[in-house]
Amino acid sequence: MTTSAFDPTRSPHEEVEISGLGTEIAARSPFELFWRRFRQDRVALGALGFIVFLIIVAILAPVIIDVVGVTGPNVQNPKALDQFGTPTGPSSDHPMGVDQLGRDVFARVLYGARVSLTVAIIATALAVTVGVVIGLLAGFYRGWVDTGLSRLIDVVLAFPILLFGIGLASACSLGNGCLGGAIKPGLSLVIFVIAVVNWTYIARIIRGQVLSVREKEFVLASESLGAPNRRIIFREILPNLVAPIIVYSTLVIPLNILFEAALSFLGVGIQPPNASWGQMISDATAIFDTAWWYMLFPGIALLLTVLAFNLLGDGLHDALNPRTGK
Amino acid sequence: MPLQPLKILIAVIVSVALGITVAACGSSDNGGGGASSGGNVKTLETAGGVDSLDPGYWYYQTDYSNLLQPTQRTLYYWKPDQTSNPTPDLATAKPQVSNGGKTVTVKIRDDVKYSAPLQNQAVKTADIKYALERCFLPQVGNGYANSYYNNIEGVKDFTDGKAKDISGITTPDDTTLVIKTTVPVGVLADAGALTMPCTVPVPKSYAQKYDQGKQSTYGDHQVFTGPYMVTNNGKGNIVGYKPGQSLHLVRNPSWDKSTDSRPAYFDRIDFQGGFDATVAARRTLKENNLLGGDYAAPPTPVLKSALSQDRDQMSITSSGGNRYISLNTTVKPLDNVNVRRAISAVIDRTALRQTRGGPTLGTLATHFLPPGVNGFDDAGGDKGPGFDFMSSPTSNVELAKSYMKKAGYANGMYSGSPLLTIADNESPAKETAEAFAEQVKKIGLKLQYREVPHATMLTKFCQVPKSKTAICPNLGWGADFFAPVSFFSPLFYGPNIVQSGNVNTAQVNDPKLNKQIEQAQQITDSTEAGKAWGDLDKEVTNQAYFIPWLWDNNVSLMGPNIKGVPSKFNSGALDYVFSSVK
Repeated sequence: MTTSAFDPTRSPHEEVEISGLGTEIAARSPFELFWRRFRQDRVALGALGFIVFLIIVAILAPVIIDVVGVTGPNVQNPKALDQFGTPTGPSSDHPMGVDQLGRDVFARVLYGARVSLTVAIIATALAVTVGVVIGLLAGFYRGWVDTGLSRLIDVVLAFPILLFGIGLASACSLGNGCLGGAIKPGLSLVIFVIAVVNWTYIARIIRGQVLSVREKEFVLASESLGAPNRRIIFREILPNLVAPIIVYSTLVIPLNILFEAALSFLGVGIQPPNASWGQMISDATAIFDTAWWYMLFPGIALLLTVLAFNLLGDGLHDALNPRTGK
Repeated sequence: MPLQPLKILIAVIVSVALGITVAACGSSDNGGGGASSGGNVKTLETAGGVDSLDPGYWYYQTDYSNLLQPTQRTLYYWKPDQTSNPTPDLATAKPQVSNGGKTVTVKIRDDVKYSAPLQNQAVKTADIKYALERCFLPQVGNGYANSYYNNIEGVKDFTDGKAKDISGITTPDDTTLVIKTTVPVGVLADAGALTMPCTVPVPKSYAQKYDQGKQSTYGDHQVFTGPYMVTNNGKGNIVGYKPGQSLHLVRNPSWDKSTDSRPAYFDRIDFQGGFDATVAARRTLKENNLLGGDYAAPPTPVLKSALSQDRDQMSITSSGGNRYISLNTTVKPLDNVNVRRAISAVIDRTALRQTRGGPTLGTLATHFLPPGVNGFDDAGGDKGPGFDFMSSPTSNVELAKSYMKKAGYANGMYSGSPLLTIADNESPAKETAEAFAEQVKKIGLKLQYREVPHATMLTKFCQVPKSKTAICPNLGWGADFFAPVSFFSPLFYGPNIVQSGNVNTAQVNDPKLNKQIEQAQQITDSTEAGKAWGDLDKEVTNQAYFIPWLWDNNVSLMGPNIKGVPSKFNSGALDYVFSSVK
């Protein structure tokens, strides 16, 4: 099983052949072909199942909390603390124990899933969109456009992103935040930082792909027929990039979840009292030796989620590129 | 050990004969409770270090415990458990007050000598006059001279540069100091303000060359009068201090035990900085010859196990300070006293205390002044003056809503824009603030809630009126000494509001209150003063400018073989001059 999203040395021909094979031999659509291969990968299926489960749990968090009968994520219950303010562990009232303020850890882990998934989806979508557009432009137009955009990517890659996030958070913590209130410490800042930094990787990959695809016969044919650039980019080249985009997105999601956790751990991510796994782990470090449950449960949730997205990404990679895997 | 009672008896007789008030039994080496001289001890600190080496600057807990108490002598000092009257140190007796309270005369000993290089020079009253004067110099950076000494005659001319000295401080001879003030000053008459480090003698002829320039360097070259000194080369250069790392105190050869009422048992005291609080606390409980350091209380897990296993190695003392939630009275709707009272009623003081570690950490406040301060009993003592919004130890939502209704919110719930609330992002303050933020939701209070580092909280928000910070939930105040003026003058006296470093975070500026504070400051009789300050305490509690919720305790730790003596004067931290090896 490969761990990286793409092998840059791999020939771009393969993408073309996937769709080519499908139509020529069995008259199956590319999706059918992919699905036949993917459903044989039990590990990836399991990971997909877990992610679907997580999404459902996150959406239904308020309902689940009601059904299980625990207090809400921000309800402080001083009675669940001893007289020193030390939290109590798992019990029938609080299946995962409580934190230093007597808040139910189970409820906070569920609501933390909402934060993680929101960041995962929105930030990744933004980063991928920006990355694909820039990659397409650089690869298609080449010349000075390519040089300019590639140097920009180099510059952004050189940014120390955690420091950038911390700096931005303190710069935008006053008044209404930056950009007219669009960016202030919290979810919007985390999403902004991730999007600003993470588009570069996909832009590089897409650029490489475009450079080779645009030399293919069908692109040359379109060009000779006088098709406008816009049509060539979006109708001829982009469909050939769907596979790498999907695989890359799935693999960048866990990185983004971890990045959100890191920012929240450092106190510049999700702002209290909202729950986030990274922030819970950060708060738990101080009392780890007396309240193991406070670090363990959000830690497990984070681990499983990141693992699931990684396994799914690998599965998709194998299914979309049959020659590289197994 | 049959000899022991006899030994103690002899010691007592000898002590009494010599006029020594504290029994110190020579070289007894048993653990029978008697303190013995000797021992090299070490203090593990988290931040490590003092704010300055300069006596004119000293103001904070570590300045007092690490430097003032062990290395210098003031006109008067506070014995560890003495809160009503200061004890003469350099002075020979209580100050003589005449001229209707406007003249204070102090006689001092003539047999106290400085450390090298001035080992042959005795302390003279002129040195104390200069010490008081230099506290007004900008290069010394003193933080309290204007609160206590501003009414001395001629201070204005001196600070304006029109006079070379303060004319109201005179020295008719080497052992007499006369202070004349324009109005009676209670804290000078009862010697309270004469316990401050501004009365540490500083010989002018030696120190003046260091007091030039932008920043005085006298601290690095100072001469010591106390039982210990920072290790130095004997030529006036201190070598034993590295900020954040270490401070070394050794015995001061110039100190003569017969001139001092303090025992000074230890031979050497070392301070080492940079420890994690948990590590420092655990080690202190386990190892001999260790003393608690610069943290006010050990982390809760250590506190919990220590309470059950090492109770005799803990000293739990009222710190003489309080903790409060500051409500900015210039921000709507906090300008409305009923909204402030509603907040006071809705907070759950028990839950707030729990975030700091529970009942060990202090008593729930029922009014503003903490115990030990003159005026505390007059304002109702522990029970308090009985305001309904201060009396419930937990949240009283019904009462809070009734106050909100009085403030004009029809259903008792706040409606309006969010209030900028700035909290500390470090535990346990962070938890306290988050608990507060949740509690006020019961009256619908919306907060624009931010957690920032402690220094940012103070220097960018809470202490800067321009920032328009509405609520600061993580503030507190400690007494300079047991005089209530050290609470009221900085926190409630309107004319003291400044544009940065403003500690009157509620921005209280009520002409009637200002007048009352001025009058109370002039009362020289301490019973009368207590009544006046007690009334003021009731008044500010009733106005709910700052909502007090805790009268803090200090929890200090000591090694298994140490008999630590907490100093009530200094936030309850250990007084190293009175502590000893068992």
